[in-house]
Amino acid sequence: MIDHILTLLIAIPLLGALAVAAWPDSRPQNFRLIALVTLIVEFLAAVTMYGLYDFSQAGFQLSEAVDWITLPIGSLGVVSIDYALAVDGISFPLILLAVLVLFVGVVSSWNIEKKTRGYFALYLLLSGSVIGCFLAQDFFLFYLFFEFMLLPMYFLIGLWGGPRREYAALKFFIYTFFGSLLILIVMIALYLSAIDPLETARVVGMIGLEDPATGDIILQLQQWVAEGRIAPEQLVHTFRFAYLADPANYLPESILSFSSDLFIFGVPVRLLAFWFLFIGFAVKLPVVPVHTWLPDAHVEAPTPLSVVLPGILLKIGGYGFIRIVDGFFPAEALYSTVPLGVLGMISIVYGGFNALGQNDLKKMIAYSSVSHMGFVLLGVAAFTAEGINGAIYQMVSHGVLSSMLFLLAGVIYDRTHDRMIENYRGLITVMPQYTILTGIAFFASLGLPGFSGFVGELFTLMGAFQSENMPVWIPALSTLGIVLAAAYFLWTYQRMFFGSFWYRNQNTEHHTTSTLTDLTLREKGLLIPLAILALLLGILPGLLFDITGPTVESWIEGLR
Amino acid sequence: MPDSAYQLPASFLLGLPLVAFLLFWLGGKGLNQVAGYAGALITAVGLAISAYFAEPGVLHTVRFDWLMVGSFPIEIAFRFDTLTFIMLMVVHFVAFLVQLYSVSYLHDDENLHRYFAFIQLFVFSMLGIVLAGNLLVMYIFWELVGLSSYLLIGFWYKKARPVWAAQKAFVLNRIGDAAFLTGILMLFYYIGSTDFEVLSVTVGSISPGVLTAIGLCLFGGCVGKSAQFPLSGWLPDAMEGPTPVSALIHAATMVAAGIFLLARISFLLTWDARLVITLIGMITMLIGAVKAMRVWDIKRVLAFSTMSQLGLMVMAVGLGSWQMAFFHLTTHAFFKAGLFLSAGSVIHAVTPSQPNINFDPQDMRNMGGLRKSLPITYICFLICASALAGLPFFSGFLSKDAIITEGFLWAEKYGIFGYLFPLVILFSAGLTAYYMFRQLWLVFFGEARYSASAHVHPHESPAIMWIPMVLLSGLSVFVWFSYNPFDAASGWFLSFIGVVESVHLSWVPILATLVTLVSIFLAYRASQSENPFEVFTPMQAPVESKYAFLRNFSNENYFLAPFAWIAKWSERIEKNWIDSFVDFVGKWSVVVAHLVSWADRNIVDGGVKFTTFSVRVAGNSVRSLQNGKIQSYFLVAITGLLLLILWLVAF
Repeated sequence: MIDHILTLLIAIPLLGALAVAAWPDSRPQNFRLIALVTLIVEFLAAVTMYGLYDFSQAGFQLSEAVDWITLPIGSLGVVSIDYALAVDGISFPLILLAVLVLFVGVVSSWNIEKKTRGYFALYLLLSGSVIGCFLAQDFFLFYLFFEFMLLPMYFLIGLWGGPRREYAALKFFIYTFFGSLLILIVMIALYLSAIDPLETARVVGMIGLEDPATGDIILQLQQWVAEGRIAPEQLVHTFRFAYLADPANYLPESILSFSSDLFIFGVPVRLLAFWFLFIGFAVKLPVVPVHTWLPDAHVEAPTPLSVVLPGILLKIGGYGFIRIVDGFFPAEALYSTVPLGVLGMISIVYGGFNALGQNDLKKMIAYSSVSHMGFVLLGVAAFTAEGINGAIYQMVSHGVLSSMLFLLAGVIYDRTHDRMIENYRGLITVMPQYTILTGIAFFASLGLPGFSGFVGELFTLMGAFQSENMPVWIPALSTLGIVLAAAYFLWTYQRMFFGSFWYRNQNTEHHTTSTLTDLTLREKGLLIPLAILALLLGILPGLLFDITGPTVESWIEGLR
Repeated sequence: MPDSAYQLPASFLLGLPLVAFLLFWLGGKGLNQVAGYAGALITAVGLAISAYFAEPGVLHTVRFDWLMVGSFPIEIAFRFDTLTFIMLMVVHFVAFLVQLYSVSYLHDDENLHRYFAFIQLFVFSMLGIVLAGNLLVMYIFWELVGLSSYLLIGFWYKKARPVWAAQKAFVLNRIGDAAFLTGILMLFYYIGSTDFEVLSVTVGSISPGVLTAIGLCLFGGCVGKSAQFPLSGWLPDAMEGPTPVSALIHAATMVAAGIFLLARISFLLTWDARLVITLIGMITMLIGAVKAMRVWDIKRVLAFSTMSQLGLMVMAVGLGSWQMAFFHLTTHAFFKAGLFLSAGSVIHAVTPSQPNINFDPQDMRNMGGLRKSLPITYICFLICASALAGLPFFSGFLSKDAIITEGFLWAEKYGIFGYLFPLVILFSAGLTAYYMFRQLWLVFFGEARYSASAHVHPHESPAIMWIPMVLLSGLSVFVWFSYNPFDAASGWFLSFIGVVESVHLSWVPILATLVTLVSIFLAYRASQSENPFEVFTPMQAPVESKYAFLRNFSNENYFLAPFAWIAKWSERIEKNWIDSFVDFVGKWSVVVAHLVSWADRNIVDGGVKFTTFSVRVAGNSVRSLQNGKIQSYFLVAITGLLLLILWLVAF
């Protein structure tokens, strides 16, 4: 079992989903209990993984790889798809975050009453796919999990969401699908261009089928490939991340070869592929201007989903930037530092201004997510150790904080079914604990030192300043984001919580103000640990940087 | 003492207030009665610790690694030197007195435990700034000071104005902080460290243009925190907070943090940067002084005066003499805190026993003649006001003259236009004397005007309030800083902070005194007129002209309106361009889909139908061929073969 801990991490939620779907008794309590137990087991598995992980070591660990599909297709070589999982300093913090956020999500799903069987089955399916995304080491497998997230997400928003849920779900689906399509195109092109040197060596007969590969053999084979000495039928094409990241594995005449001088519309084809991939993941992150699905999806999603969506799904965009976009196209990423940095800056500032203009609490938080994710892009664009470390940190920090923020928005929505900021005033009088926790979440999110948000912003900005390719004005203008964050969070805080108590009831279903009760035990049980986690990460950033640091360092060295 | 011995005071000085903050905050209302005394005691312990470990002139640093990112370590460093020592004394001492004062001033507030918790949080963060050994640590505590200021200004959260003022203070400060952070990150890029020791050695390796930019960015932090133009708008509004808070934070300590920052980084300010700093300081000084002459709120007069004095200190740094700025910072901390506490005592005295909406106990038009009922407050206020106005034998005189002297020395070096600066300082010193006399007269002299409300019974404050006032005004006398009342240079303070040789121009004190006396005389003449200082002119609503936003620089109009405007437009862009583009694509895809499905039904499907139709027709015709005649079969076979050959040849 312990040898296959990563498989287990994916399998547990999927088995849970099956269990929910097949459970004979159809009382709703059973399903949520199964889901909860599943995620508790998942949590224990993650703790086990934490125990097995060697923090001092850079690169991949706990790897598992099995040949999955091997199919000779004549002159196009051999299709080889592997079931390959591994974890390194880049994915490790995100997996921990994912398990945490998914757990929070399931606890906050406690009040779901509609079609619970379907809900929890889809939720667990989503959980398995998300974890799978972070663990996959084969592009095909990654893409499979990536697409698999869409389906449950679409139904979860579309069936359990707010009034405009169909619109939001469809918009979400089309946007993300459009992104996936671009990724798919590049994925196929990559596949056609790169080979698996180990398997090819075996097919060619340089080594026996069971022999382990040596570095010399691989080098020799790559030499042969470069000279074109291997027949096309014998080439084993691959989706493996590790092989795709090595320029020597690219066929000399292929479209995405590193020496390719192919141009499409006057753009080098590798640069074009880079932008395709970038846009594909930019939709997910999201980056302005492909972000407009996010406010709608956030607002319409039921509370647990609006926790999971920014808490972990957006991070797959950032993860994709680091692992795939930068990983396979490092030269293009360096070349595009300025446009990427500018896009990050625009996301930060534009998201901030939009957050300032919102009347809907959830929309305000959604736009603040856009702004905060802009820092991730800025750090990734910088392509420095500080920037990438900072970007991962910012993702984890935002995962924790946005979970808190959406839970808090859910608290008020649960009570009144009204999210309009201007309909509340002086909530501190009736809900003092809620006010304090909101204050902590707001101040942590606006980057107050001592909380995690500050560290993420500090290091992404520092990385951007350290970058040789990025002009100083990009991060300098990005600091406007922290001013805006102070403005929109504090303004919201002032409008909703301070002054004398007043509440405008516009909802015909919920008449009384007596519904405005303070936090329940369950809500506190979710919010307080998250607040403590944000504080802990803010005071001891080493908790995270110790994990990401060595990997990012060697990873950057390898790419440059 | 070795450096390692300083880990202990560093952890105690920071740890005690932090623990106190958590205890008071989480302890609940049961601590309302104790928190004030306990807090004062903790601060007193801090004062004792800082005095015990004082070793002026020697630098001690305490460092430890916070984390490693990429290739370089980020350090947490604390530093003990002369500047630290003086600031530790000032902060602890004023905080101690203010807490004692608050015990009585706010005795019936229901959230008193939170108030003292926030004070402790403030002390913690302020001490962090003071002890910081590098700019990053300073920035961290800088933000925390902003937080505690937010919490304390907005302490009365049920009233709209304090909350608004708190938010305004935080956001305006954040603008400065963004610049500060940019400066820090630029230092990380160009030097790789923000440690003051490292910086002082390596600063020469940066090109002057970049250094100017860095200096101005760092100065941005000072502009926010020390309420310099154009981010000064928050300071007067911050007076919505409790008065002891104004004394502690917005007069003595927090607003001085900007000056402290400049003193720390003075070595990396280039000449160009200094010129900008001088100009900003001058503008702030003049605006503050002019506004202080016009307002009626007793605390706002002091707030504008603080702003003006901070401008003076910033100017002193710009003129190249951070020591004089620091000197003025120290003297100012005591007499301005004394003024605020006295003003609090006055407000306390004229607050009606029954709430009265129409009676503003902070409006000086509702005071007058209070010297008889508040004798101690009157004397304290008089002493502190004299120090502020720069009368001889008071501390303010020494420090202000030191700055004016520096101004004239600077002007000698840089030619005729340089004389602008010292002359403006002199002019503003005159304004200071004028508005302080005006305030003194309006509050304590003339006829009593508080009878507008029947429930005002002025009475002297209890001892726990006036003892801090007396102590602070005692420290506003010259002897504590120099035995020669006319020459600061011969005093211990300046040699203590490292001024080795300073020139003393003997005509400067005479000139300054003359200016002060003339303006006091002018103020006195104004007070003897029919309508002194227009005090009897009925209050009127301010006329809202079209250009009012120019007058009220950096308030809502100046700041939030453009934000709202941009937010509105970005929302429109979002809605009309991006989203409508998406909707356009979406709608047209549906339209196209309908077209395609129509085509599918009628053309493609039609094709299929046509095919089936033709097949049926063909089938019918073929059926007629199957008539059992062998010839017919043969014919069909031949035809089929022909067609097959045709097909093989053609394709």
